[in-house]
Amino acid sequence: MIEVRHLTKKYGSFTAVDDISFTAQPGEILGFLGPNGAGKTTTMRVLTGYMPPTSGVVRVAGWDIFEESLDARRHIGYLPETVPLYPDMTVRGYVDFVADLRRVPKRRARVDEVLARVGMTERANSLIRNISKGMRQRVGLAQALVHDPEVLILDEPTIGLDPHQVIEVRQLVRELGQDRTLMFSTHILSEAEQVCDRVLIIEGGRIVAEGSPQTLRDRLQRGGRVYLRLEQTPPQGDVIAALEATGGVEAAAPEGDGYLIQLARGTDARGDIVETMLAHGWRVIELRPWAMTLEEIFLELTTAELAAPLRSGGRPKKPKKKAAKRRSKR
Amino acid sequence: MHGVWVIFKREMRQYFTSPIAYLVAFALLFMAGMVFMIDLRQRNGVAPADGTMILGFFAFIMIFLAPLLTMRLMAEESREGTIELLLTMPIRDAEIVLGKFLGAWAYYSLLLLSTIVYQIVMLTFSTPDIGAVIAAYIGIWLYGGSVIAVGMLFSALTENQIIAGFLSMAVLFLLWLADSVGALFDNIGVEAARFVRALSLRAHHSTSFLLGIFRLEDVFFYVGLMAVMLFITTQIVAARRWRG
Repeated sequence: MIEVRHLTKKYGSFTAVDDISFTAQPGEILGFLGPNGAGKTTTMRVLTGYMPPTSGVVRVAGWDIFEESLDARRHIGYLPETVPLYPDMTVRGYVDFVADLRRVPKRRARVDEVLARVGMTERANSLIRNISKGMRQRVGLAQALVHDPEVLILDEPTIGLDPHQVIEVRQLVRELGQDRTLMFSTHILSEAEQVCDRVLIIEGGRIVAEGSPQTLRDRLQRGGRVYLRLEQTPPQGDVIAALEATGGVEAAAPEGDGYLIQLARGTDARGDIVETMLAHGWRVIELRPWAMTLEEIFLELTTAELAAPLRSGGRPKKPKKKAAKRRSKR
Repeated sequence: MHGVWVIFKREMRQYFTSPIAYLVAFALLFMAGMVFMIDLRQRNGVAPADGTMILGFFAFIMIFLAPLLTMRLMAEESREGTIELLLTMPIRDAEIVLGKFLGAWAYYSLLLLSTIVYQIVMLTFSTPDIGAVIAAYIGIWLYGGSVIAVGMLFSALTENQIIAGFLSMAVLFLLWLADSVGALFDNIGVEAARFVRALSLRAHHSTSFLLGIFRLEDVFFYVGLMAVMLFITTQIVAARRWRG
């Protein structure tokens, strides 16, 4: 398991990670979601013992990553963002080198096993400089897995892969997460949604939201939204005016071929909406709940005014210059 | 210490697959062969053949060739990001530094051993003092360790191999000449000048080992230089963690 308490990491005067706390349990896939530069890689580098924290406590598999670093590192498998490969080594030679450093018992058999797991058996004797980007990523994974670690930390494992390879890696991540603690970072929201049991959203070095992809979505469904499509194409202004005149509708806006309707909290005006439309002679061909994608959640969470009530910690978020600037632009 | 051994093995493999290691070996053997031949010609009928001459040349040329071997040691790992792998393995920073150092020194030792060819040639027409030659080999071997340790320090300081190599050459050259450079410090004080002179890389073998004299202070000098350089290198690697 991973336990992080009040972790802060500063580079000089720049605070890359600002007082974050979380835990990850065995058998859990924890997604670490945030834009580039949010502090994901820095956090993972602290977690894996690559760099010490400025303050705070990190325990991995029960060991303090700073005080008992070697013991903690023994139980971690880590795939850094830039896969650390030696181009002049063969795939097998490289995985064997890591297995040797980690004193893996029955090394030969284990290396073969892990190469089979990531589907690299056939290219085991190729030089790393000659294999594709997707294969390199898999070799990196093999390296992280070779000692069957309790905790697996993967930094953007799908970056730079083609869609087919992305699906493969996601599948692998899901499998691997079943019997260990797995944490992986991504800036692709649909990926976190598909793969993770729990998501941490990080921005500007702070955790702005935490929960299962489902809860995060639910928490943002204030009054709920519905999507409406009509058979006819009457003037948009007329439809919006008619919708907004309907009881229980807070707002309406065009969206694609139809309209996105914000319902008032605690109401379900869907029946009324259909009646209103029919009264105008417009036939409803689609009316469905509009689930927010993580993309939208993300955008909303990373603007300060929405983030405050959603924060799990309850500590009020300090107003940030960046967020203020964004607001004034709108 | 398991980590030292694993790193050492990888380094040794690297030397036998890396073109630069072969180039260094080629350049060294080519030049040594020329120097040996010219020296024999000049001495012919004038002075007795000297088996340690080739070692003096070997030591000097290493000021320029050793940095080519050491410049990649740490700099390449930083540049390629593989340092992140090593620093998150369950091994100490010192094991990484020591493993790499021993790998480079072992390769140097092989180069040094290859000059035994000249000693064998020498044996066919002359009767060298075998004891003196052995002392010279020990001296040049220890000297090589300290040259490599200095190069390794500069490799840890920068991600840029060229800068690492160039700085190593410059500093090694200054240290080589330190016995002459020391004279410049005479005005400052006798003690300062003595100190600088004592740092000389060449004076610790040219006036002892190469003459067949085995002085403990010279052994201490080279071993001490290695220890200090490796210690600083380890500190630089550890400091990198803090800087990120």
